[in-house]
Amino acid sequence: MIAHDRRTADSRLARLFVAPVILIVGATAPVPIASTVWAALHQRDLRLPWLGQPFVGLANFVEAAGDRRFLDAVLHTVMFAAMTVPIELALGLAVALVMHRVQRGRAIVRAAALLPWAIPTVVAALVWRLVFDNTTTMFGFDWFSNSRAAWIPIAAADVWKTTPFVAVLLLAGLQTIDQEIYESARLDGASATRQLFTITVPLLAPAIVVAAAFRTLDALRLFDLPYVMTGGGPGTATEPLSLYAFVALMERLRFGYGSALSISVFALTFLVALAFVRSLGHASRVEAS
Amino acid sequence: MRWRIALACLMCTVLAACSGGAHGRHLSFSGSALGQEGALIRTQLARFAAQHPGVDISVRITPDAANQRHQLYVQWLNAHVPEPDVLQLDIVWTAEFAAAGWIRPLAIDTTDFFPAAAQANRWRGVLYAVPWFVDAGLLYWRTDLFADAPASIDALRADATRAQRERGVANGLVWSGARYEGVVTVFIEYLAAFGGRIFDDDGAIVVDSPQAVRALTFMRDSLGEQGFVPVSALSWQEEQVRFAFQNGQSAFMRNWPYAWALLQDPQRSRVANHIAIAPMPPAAGGRPSAALGGAQLAINRYTREPELAASLVEFLTAPVQMLERARIASQLPARRSLYDGPDLGRALPMPIADVRRALDATVARPVTPVYSEMSEILQVHLHRALTSQEEPSTALHGAAREIRALLDRSGLRGAAS
Repeated sequence: MIAHDRRTADSRLARLFVAPVILIVGATAPVPIASTVWAALHQRDLRLPWLGQPFVGLANFVEAAGDRRFLDAVLHTVMFAAMTVPIELALGLAVALVMHRVQRGRAIVRAAALLPWAIPTVVAALVWRLVFDNTTTMFGFDWFSNSRAAWIPIAAADVWKTTPFVAVLLLAGLQTIDQEIYESARLDGASATRQLFTITVPLLAPAIVVAAAFRTLDALRLFDLPYVMTGGGPGTATEPLSLYAFVALMERLRFGYGSALSISVFALTFLVALAFVRSLGHASRVEAS
Repeated sequence: MRWRIALACLMCTVLAACSGGAHGRHLSFSGSALGQEGALIRTQLARFAAQHPGVDISVRITPDAANQRHQLYVQWLNAHVPEPDVLQLDIVWTAEFAAAGWIRPLAIDTTDFFPAAAQANRWRGVLYAVPWFVDAGLLYWRTDLFADAPASIDALRADATRAQRERGVANGLVWSGARYEGVVTVFIEYLAAFGGRIFDDDGAIVVDSPQAVRALTFMRDSLGEQGFVPVSALSWQEEQVRFAFQNGQSAFMRNWPYAWALLQDPQRSRVANHIAIAPMPPAAGGRPSAALGGAQLAINRYTREPELAASLVEFLTAPVQMLERARIASQLPARRSLYDGPDLGRALPMPIADVRRALDATVARPVTPVYSEMSEILQVHLHRALTSQEEPSTALHGAAREIRALLDRSGLRGAAS
């Protein structure tokens, strides 16, 4: 009886805590999303005012499905995420393990590791652009004129910038693992590698999934690095989805088509977010069992 | 987007509230207002205000990057804001703004202006903007390496290659090959030099003609180790091109007139006193060419002071103001008669005979309301061809197909020239 009362009191309190967030998100999120959907169903071209703004149904989406540049942009975006996120997770885990071990100067080591994350992306992108710009370095190879090589500076900047973020998330996870488990593993004669793969990684799974989710969703919205470093070029070889949507909206001023492209960015990240939420549930069940 | 329009409206309301008081009328001008150009325009506006008691004029500063200024104008005019009253337009914007009904038709006599510039400011036969100053793409060459400008495009290649091999100059020729409007202006010159065009006389797209494919193939083959143009030029805009030439790293440079004064400064330039200019030389079946650029003045459709704005446009494009602009900012007057008198020769830093030869060779870019989008299509395909992602013929056929689709979508098929 008492337990039951406490549970209702708790859930009432919980609802009270959650209410402001739901109110704010509920008041702000649906309006722009709905107005983007509305715009995507119309032809609205600021440069061609004589065409008016007729309702065109799904015509903008049909156009996108037949637009090579759009399909290329989807491919670029997915490949970028698939290429960079695993590297960031692996490096982030390594950095987290080091930070976890460090005894002296802990604060300084952690602050130093976080530095790239604190630098604004545009500034970092300009610096990395200079690093790879063949007129200022010894690489002697023109990275930005080659459709494949142009991805390397972008990926390098992204890995450099976001690995610390992954490391800090994983460090928090590491600190929740009970040290006694390692002690008994050592007593049983488990090697360091064995400990890493049978204790650390499985117990860290929820944190890894969270880090992977954040990074993947960020990578799918990739915009600022290619915008600053390559402008999407050469040609459109490094143009991700968000950059193409930006070009359609802000340069061509095609609000209808651009909104349809924005919705595709939204749809892509939303689907991936759903997948991660599911695997997060799975990871915590594994941990609990 | 929306918030920007809202902000622009708010700014205008506030400005109108501050300036629209009982005394006097107000005009606002928007255009390039940095450095010498800014000081000059302020002087000239003050002179106009002195001639019109009770009128005060302000300068609305807009970004100097053409894309950004264009975007801002389009947002303002879509929102029907009455200010700025007088707008500085790029030569390729007039048709777009006229077709959209954002600028007013003008009743100004244009017989004295360069015909190509005046033509670019007409839409469906009506004049919508007045040429203010003209720009022409120039081939800069080094007088310490050569005795004459090359007479043909093959001679250009031969001279450039020889300078690299025998005189130890790092590059033969440099131009702005980044994916932006600059690469289109360079291509337009090669295109005319090879006898090609973008639209034919009937308004049909001919940018994938055999001449055009030859022009683009020539550009691509001139790049890299085997050629005479550096691959890095594919990410260069005007200033990087100028730095390379100014540091003595190239025998030729394709750039605009603004570079002249900077290159002649011995403090900063290694090629000072060793430069000359010419148009892009022709290939067989083509003609010498220089891409036509420049600025125009137009009047906001929603202005509250149409007559006053028109007299400001007439004042700024009058011979006296143009000569002063040539003297202070080295910008080339858009009036032909000024090139006959002695004053301009004294006002301009570069040899006036060479300037005239380049202006006689000018080629206009297509006059169409969808120029910006058309140019973007070309930029992408040209850049793909120059970076060997597409063959020149594939690139130009792709561009032609997309431009046709664009004209169909905009209801403009056959309306361009």
